[in-house]
Amino acid sequence: MAELQKLQQILWMVNIAAGVLLLILVAVRRNYRAFPAFTLYLLTNSTCSMLVLLTYHRWGFSSSGFWWFASGMQILATSARALAVAELCKHLLARYLGIWGLAWRVLLSCAALTLIYSCIATNYQWRLALIRANRGLELTIAAVIVAVFVIARYYHLETNLAERSLAVGFCLYSCFRALNNTILERFLDHYVVLWNFLGMLAFLGSLLLWAWALRRPQTEAVPAETLLPAGVYQAVAPQINLRLRLLNEQLGQFWKTEATRN
Amino acid sequence: MNLPLMLFIGFVAVLLLVLVWGLRRPQERRKLRGGPQSLDENDRRHVTYLPQIRQALAKADFKFLRERASEKVQRRVRRERRNVALAYLDALRGDFHSLLRTARVIAVLSPDVAAVHEFERLRLTAKFGLQYQLIRWKLLAGFATLPQLDGLSNLVSGLSVRMEAAMKELGERAALAAELASSMNGRGLGAV
Repeated sequence: MAELQKLQQILWMVNIAAGVLLLILVAVRRNYRAFPAFTLYLLTNSTCSMLVLLTYHRWGFSSSGFWWFASGMQILATSARALAVAELCKHLLARYLGIWGLAWRVLLSCAALTLIYSCIATNYQWRLALIRANRGLELTIAAVIVAVFVIARYYHLETNLAERSLAVGFCLYSCFRALNNTILERFLDHYVVLWNFLGMLAFLGSLLLWAWALRRPQTEAVPAETLLPAGVYQAVAPQINLRLRLLNEQLGQFWKTEATRN
Repeated sequence: MNLPLMLFIGFVAVLLLVLVWGLRRPQERRKLRGGPQSLDENDRRHVTYLPQIRQALAKADFKFLRERASEKVQRRVRRERRNVALAYLDALRGDFHSLLRTARVIAVLSPDVAAVHEFERLRLTAKFGLQYQLIRWKLLAGFATLPQLDGLSNLVSGLSVRMEAAMKELGERAALAAELASSMNGRGLGAV
């Protein structure tokens, strides 16, 4: 256990160093222009990590002051991450104006539903409120990213590899944290060191993926697709759907006939 | 392990599976860069081969074979005809997907998209998929009836006809709009 704790501290510092290096890379490649919220997240996260590390050395791991401070910082970093994810969603979909108009509403609904689900599932045990709030946020982030990929696949949209890699990094990390928080909640006292260690390892993996994604300068704004006149969709979509509705009714009748005949 | 814990783990597992699915490139993926001209790619319809398929599954043929041919020949004919019907079913699905692609291209290239229309198309696609799988399984099991294939063919052919009519109408509207715009500009009304 003591060895794991030592390893965890080393990894903690490695993560802070990697975060700062990624921040420098973002600055050198001028990617902060394309991803301001992502840059803000890296800054927030590095600052929070350093503050938590200092508090850890001052108060120790088992003090309740450290626990509340670390959890508060975690919520702050997760909120910054949520902002970065929102920016990423816009990057991935906003060039398709009509789809983006629909997608942001779907994504917001998806986020709201996941949060509601998380709140209901917490069962109003306030002792674990911070962990559960954090888990709710993590699940929401992961669900939103997955929804973006589903929309992109459904409409066969072209997506930038760098943006895709950033999103995958966010999603995997959020999934891992949500799982970790769930396990921590259940076996709170026994696995807290292991939980922290694995969480840091997952974060390091995400940092490396993001560094790889941002190794080249990214363009600030992707030009929007050449669009059809506004009336085209309004004219065609209802006609297609009307016909589809009628055909489905026909098909329904057909099944009924089959059932009657059988 | 309690229920909420299992639900959370299950939810994350589902998210990861959907993520993997979402990251995979669709087989029929086409670049949208082709723009509006890609709307006009539905020039081939497998529905036109329905009479031949109807013939392939006709009961009279099987009756004729039962009276004249050996059991082995009958089995072979049945298997080959079933394969033809399955290939036809796959081709129908290809037609349906091609039409859906057209609808998607219109949505992607439009400045404003209505949620109602998009969700309805999603629902109808799911329904077609279910219908397709049911008939396919019935064919594989050897007890699909021709009316079922007919129903699916009607769905696709009707949609094709309607889409073609809509596209033609759109072309006419676009030409009219261009004409109107040019005449308004000529009179100095277009400039602000």
